[in-house]
Amino acid sequence: MPTAIKERFLVSPFLVFFLVNSIQIGIGVLGFQRYIAKSAGYDAWIAVLAFGFIVNLLIWMIYNIMKKGNGDITVIHRDLFGKWIGGLFSLFFVVYLLFFTITVLRTFIEVIQVWMFPEIKVWAFSLVFLILTYYVVSGGFRTVTGMSFLGVVLPLYLLLTLWFPLEFANFRNLLPILDHSLKELAISTKDTALSYLGFETLFMFYPFIKQPEKSQKWAHFGALFTTLIYLVLTIVSFGYYSEKQLAGTVWATLSIWKIVEMPFVERFEYIGIATYVLVILPNICLSIWSSSRGVKQLFGVKQHTALIVLLVIIFVVNCLLTNRTSVDMLNTNVSHIGFYIIVLYIPFLFIISQIHHKVRKKG
Amino acid sequence: MKKWFQKKNKESNESNESKESNESKESKESKESKESKESKESKESKESKESKENLSEIMSRLKKSSDFICYSNNHSLNPFYISYCKSLVNVEILHRDILALINDKPIRTYEELKGAILVEDIIITSEIDKIEKLILNGFVMIQLDEKDNMCALARAELQIGRNISIPEVEFSVIGPKESFVESLDSNLNLIRRRLPISDLQIKEVMVGTLTKTRVAVLYIEKIVDKENVNTVIQRINDIEFDQIIDSAYIAQMIADNQNSPFPQLLDTERPDRVAGVLAEGKVVILVNGSPHALIGPTTLIEFFSSFEDYFLSWHVASIFRIIRLFAVTFSIFSTPIYVAVVTYHYELIPKELMVTLVTSRSNVPFPPILEVIFLEMAIELLREAGARLPTKIGQTIGIVGGIVIGTAAVEAALVSNVLLIIVALAALASFTTPVYKMNNTIRLIRFPFLLFAQLWGLVGLVLCFCFLLVHLIRLTSLGRPFLEPIYPLRWADLKDAFIRLPFSSQSKRPILLRTKEPNRFNKKQAKEKKDIDE
Repeated sequence: MPTAIKERFLVSPFLVFFLVNSIQIGIGVLGFQRYIAKSAGYDAWIAVLAFGFIVNLLIWMIYNIMKKGNGDITVIHRDLFGKWIGGLFSLFFVVYLLFFTITVLRTFIEVIQVWMFPEIKVWAFSLVFLILTYYVVSGGFRTVTGMSFLGVVLPLYLLLTLWFPLEFANFRNLLPILDHSLKELAISTKDTALSYLGFETLFMFYPFIKQPEKSQKWAHFGALFTTLIYLVLTIVSFGYYSEKQLAGTVWATLSIWKIVEMPFVERFEYIGIATYVLVILPNICLSIWSSSRGVKQLFGVKQHTALIVLLVIIFVVNCLLTNRTSVDMLNTNVSHIGFYIIVLYIPFLFIISQIHHKVRKKG
Repeated sequence: MKKWFQKKNKESNESNESKESNESKESKESKESKESKESKESKESKESKESKENLSEIMSRLKKSSDFICYSNNHSLNPFYISYCKSLVNVEILHRDILALINDKPIRTYEELKGAILVEDIIITSEIDKIEKLILNGFVMIQLDEKDNMCALARAELQIGRNISIPEVEFSVIGPKESFVESLDSNLNLIRRRLPISDLQIKEVMVGTLTKTRVAVLYIEKIVDKENVNTVIQRINDIEFDQIIDSAYIAQMIADNQNSPFPQLLDTERPDRVAGVLAEGKVVILVNGSPHALIGPTTLIEFFSSFEDYFLSWHVASIFRIIRLFAVTFSIFSTPIYVAVVTYHYELIPKELMVTLVTSRSNVPFPPILEVIFLEMAIELLREAGARLPTKIGQTIGIVGGIVIGTAAVEAALVSNVLLIIVALAALASFTTPVYKMNNTIRLIRFPFLLFAQLWGLVGLVLCFCFLLVHLIRLTSLGRPFLEPIYPLRWADLKDAFIRLPFSSQSKRPILLRTKEPNRFNKKQAKEKKDIDE
């Protein structure tokens, strides 16, 4: 049943670096500092590191699962749990990815509303953005990957702006290290997890990688790069903000950009947010590509049709989410589900697949 | 001699007319009677009868045109019949090398005829299609027997055309000064002379149901990826169109995405550039009647590299390329950024700069977008007017437009000073693109950016940029990615993209082309390391 993907649709192994990195770095970067500092305070950078480590472990598990299977997650689900239960799991995965997309897009619109255009019409912006998404995804996985690649490379210059807050930073804030309990750190780690979400799309695009075994190190590098970016950002923010300020700053990264001053540019956050379109787009494209691919595998419809249907759903839901609280609620819920998917479900699937293959070998 | 010819000409014209009327009125009868006269052809098969009718049909069709000449020498011993198209034949060759030599000799067979004539290209055939084609390509048809399909065709083409001149579109200060002309054969000559190797292959295809345009596909056999050649030939063969006037027709018809504003084949008028890319392993298309060759597969970056880059030292060339790329970016983004910033993001600009901007805009009654569109339109008008006028008047237009209108518009407070500077710079920057077609594209894509900037400021700008990026990612040239070496990222091909590294590091041909011989030279052999003072 699983058909090999034609070679001209495959992507080089090293591009997995950009795929993993681009989907992990998303809307979370703009304001994750407040969440992680809530429980662990200035020690939260340890949580960032810790979860970076966990993510790498999970990627290792994903690769182990995928190497044994012959296809994407839907095929593996079917092999492990049978058509109906497996299909149910896959459907859940697809729906989760769909909501992940909605959250990212809606939150980004929220950022634009708060920081740039309070009057912007949600439906208009969603419409244009989704047309753009359609244009990317209908170009196939290679186009999606290309967008991921450029979505990582082009906005890289934003990292340079972290130089400016250093002038005002006080890194003694970080001392003393480890003055929080292990439990607090654990909670903080859980909160960190939300910023790392997205790499589970590996389950879908794994068959589209040329020589997938070779890509594993690139996936790890991608995740490590994400960890590095978060770590640097965390440390700089912790040096820049006091703990009290941090608790009251929703979009800490954006607030940092406020003080960037160059001879020809002030108020850098406008440029930052605009550039962030380039970061958000691959995020949305990759998850929509994954979920539409999932729908195709599950129901046997054309991916093109699935894509259009999903985009319409996103558009409608986006328009229905009118106030800040509902966006927040969506964020929290999707993050929680995402968290449980990655830290509970992936190990679970890993163990099942290991057992399955041992049994099959004996048989 | 000429007099003789003219006399004959008149006679033949008269006889033509009479023949024509005869044939058209009572063609069957006359043919039958003619046939009965001929003892030789009494045993002809049906097929050849049909084809003979075809030949006479063709001849009668041709005879309707006044530049077609058909006559016999009326020599009882040695009769022959000559037909040709006056407008296509070089009369001098006809007289000196054909008529003078066969007029008085007793010639019985076509082989003898072939021996007698001094023209090197003589074809003896009875294929109707071929005869028609050759006559319409400047061949003189000589028949020993008017009723027979058999005939000899001697090349006596009249070659009129422009002389080879210096390149005007892709001018370069240093380097070769030859450029292509309209004649395909001259162009092929220019290329062949630069690549005197047997591996340079030329495949000719005929395209266009009316124009019958000769299209030549060139490649170097041992280097090129056969797939590219096949793609090109296949696509050219698939063209269904009545006229192919210029290579631009072909370029548009065989483009991967015909709805893209971007040219997907590089066009050049420089034979040196063509020779250069052939050696890289690309495929070149030449079209008879067009002074522009097409090169494929190509990449976006290649459109911003001038062939002059290879004549300059690599540092200079690299800097020029970067300046060109910067210029393009500037010319696309400067006015949309102006619109975005002045309309929505005043806060972005530092106070000192703001003062300048506000004073220059204080008297302008229009919103920025109108101001920009007004000025951009003015610039486009100037360009368009300049392009349609002769060079010298064009310059005047530039001065009148640029200085008079510009200054007047600012003084009348219709546009701001700052914007005038930006628009003028942007226009200037867009001229640095070496390839004219890409130049036009850049002119065009500025406008969607303006609209998006007006809509959502900087966010709109980046959104539009994303559309552009996706379009470029999806675009292919002869099936090869257009955005290479950026995406898919190929480090090795970056040696000749944004910058041009020295020739010593150009040992590999572009990976994009998947050439049969990836190495230009053996780098190890070329580079022997020497110690100091040795």
